[in-house]
Amino acid sequence: MSSRALRWAVPAVVALLVAVLPLVIADRFLIKVFTFVGLNVIVAVGLGLLFGYAGQVSLGHAAFVGMGAYTSAYLTARLDWPWIVAFALSGAVAGLGGLVLAIPSLRLRGHYLAMATLGFGELMSLVFTEADPITGGVDGFTGIPFPSIMGFELRQPAGLYWLVWGVAAIAILVAANMVNFGPGRAMRSVHGSELGAVASGVDVTGVKVRVFVISATFAGLSGALYASVVGFISPSVFTLQSSVAYLAMAVIGGTASLAGPAVAATLLTLLEYTDALVPGLSRSAAQTIQEYQPDLYGLAIILVVLFAPGGLAALWRRRARGGESG
Amino acid sequence: MEALAQFIVAGLKSGAIYALLALGFTIVYASTGAINFAQGEFFMLGGVIGVWLLSLGMPIPLAVLGAIVLTAAIGVVFEILAVRPIEGGDPLRIIMVTIGGSVLLRQLALHAFGPDELTFPAFTRGPSIRLLGAAIERQTVWIWGLTLLAVLALAAMYRYTGFGKAMRATSIRSEAARLVGIDAAGMVTASFGLSAALGAMAGLVVAPLTQTAFNVGSAIGLKGFAAAILGGLGNPVAAVGGGLILGVLESLTAGYIDPLYKDAVALVVLLLVLFIRPQGLFGGAAREKV
Repeated sequence: MSSRALRWAVPAVVALLVAVLPLVIADRFLIKVFTFVGLNVIVAVGLGLLFGYAGQVSLGHAAFVGMGAYTSAYLTARLDWPWIVAFALSGAVAGLGGLVLAIPSLRLRGHYLAMATLGFGELMSLVFTEADPITGGVDGFTGIPFPSIMGFELRQPAGLYWLVWGVAAIAILVAANMVNFGPGRAMRSVHGSELGAVASGVDVTGVKVRVFVISATFAGLSGALYASVVGFISPSVFTLQSSVAYLAMAVIGGTASLAGPAVAATLLTLLEYTDALVPGLSRSAAQTIQEYQPDLYGLAIILVVLFAPGGLAALWRRRARGGESG
Repeated sequence: MEALAQFIVAGLKSGAIYALLALGFTIVYASTGAINFAQGEFFMLGGVIGVWLLSLGMPIPLAVLGAIVLTAAIGVVFEILAVRPIEGGDPLRIIMVTIGGSVLLRQLALHAFGPDELTFPAFTRGPSIRLLGAAIERQTVWIWGLTLLAVLALAAMYRYTGFGKAMRATSIRSEAARLVGIDAAGMVTASFGLSAALGAMAGLVVAPLTQTAFNVGSAIGLKGFAAAILGGLGNPVAAVGGGLILGVLESLTAGYIDPLYKDAVALVVLLLVLFIRPQGLFGGAAREKV
């Protein structure tokens, strides 16, 4: 098969496999696990745009996920707004948060955004914990209704799975569109040589801000979906540790790629649920894996940055090139 | 009036701790142009290693000294293993590596010392000292004394020793420093060791008042960074000033507005400074040039 056909065939086959998965898996919990994979893929693809194309680091994306989750929870559970409106607004609120954060810090060099997002994330953590009347405080927010679209309520695991992966597919298409057309070229030029990009009239800061807002919006939408899929949220979900996990997905996934972060998000999420995937695994072995998961994120970030700065994506790009020439 | 004095004492107490962390950020920033996201973990390591050495039966002064030396050694090893291999010293990659390192150090501390809060005894026993109507705990005097000592020692080192001059030269222009025979890579290693030692000292001297645990690093690191950037990143004197101002601001907010907002102060200061005056209170123009 030619490499051109392969480029279309591989995503098509993957999409088909993802779509039929709930039909071949009977275990409801397993479907839920793959729903969580979809939620993380949405965040990782946005972060992949930010890290892998615009060369920016965020340590606060869990805060955007949280903003989306609490917005949707409050609007649907307390104000009885239609789910779809709450869902859209959740993305908008997170995107707006991203805009407010990005405009000032992106005028400055890379590390300022990293610190600003870290500070923002911790600040939002405080807000989630302390703003009891809205967020329910440390005890969390319970009784969030299932998603319903035009009067039709989705409560079966398979339905929720398709909803989440539907949004993930749209997110990937939007991101791919950004990468392949206008803004994407500008982004790649920013990554190649910022100086050169500026010299050829690219609005570098504008491009970076746009990418950051998109990635924050994706995170907010993922949070809104999480809230209505699980029905319960609490501040312990949206912590620095989650932000580091998202960053690890983007870094391991690699630069200049959307498939890389998506694959990394899938692998890292599945690792969290090894006990569901490997039937014979003992409880204590699964627990040990969970305990050492942050170690793995930290170590993986270091190793990828030192030895494989392009991440997974660069590895398979190199292999594909080698295959063609050989 | 008495309340105000007490708030200011409390503010200068935590402010001195922030100043030590801010100095750590400044030293690494000067040598690499990057922010060390693991700075707060050095603070944590100082405290937990100190508690561990005490449990082995060491007297307090030896445990303090031992914990500072061990943490500095960890800083040096971390630099050699993870920072030095980065070709060209790209700041973004250094930042990424320190983010990974901070997660890793925290996890290692968790596995080695457990999840519980650990206590370190006061350096010297005795009642609080009264001054202008404010009660000052003896440990607070230790905090101020050791911070002052560290600042003076650093200033003297930068000014008078060959090593200090070499570090300054490297931070001004690493290439040129290398041409005149300074081991520039060695200076980066030294800066990690030095900032780790300062962080460890801060973590140890405040541990008797606050307790310590494997997870105290990231929050205090963020406050130390807020202090560094409030003063102006890259300037040691400004870093100390930023630390003290931040401490007093926090304490006044907790005292006069609501203790609930105490932890938000540093975060709001951090974001405001980044947005409005990224060069800090005492810095010149630092806007990015193309």
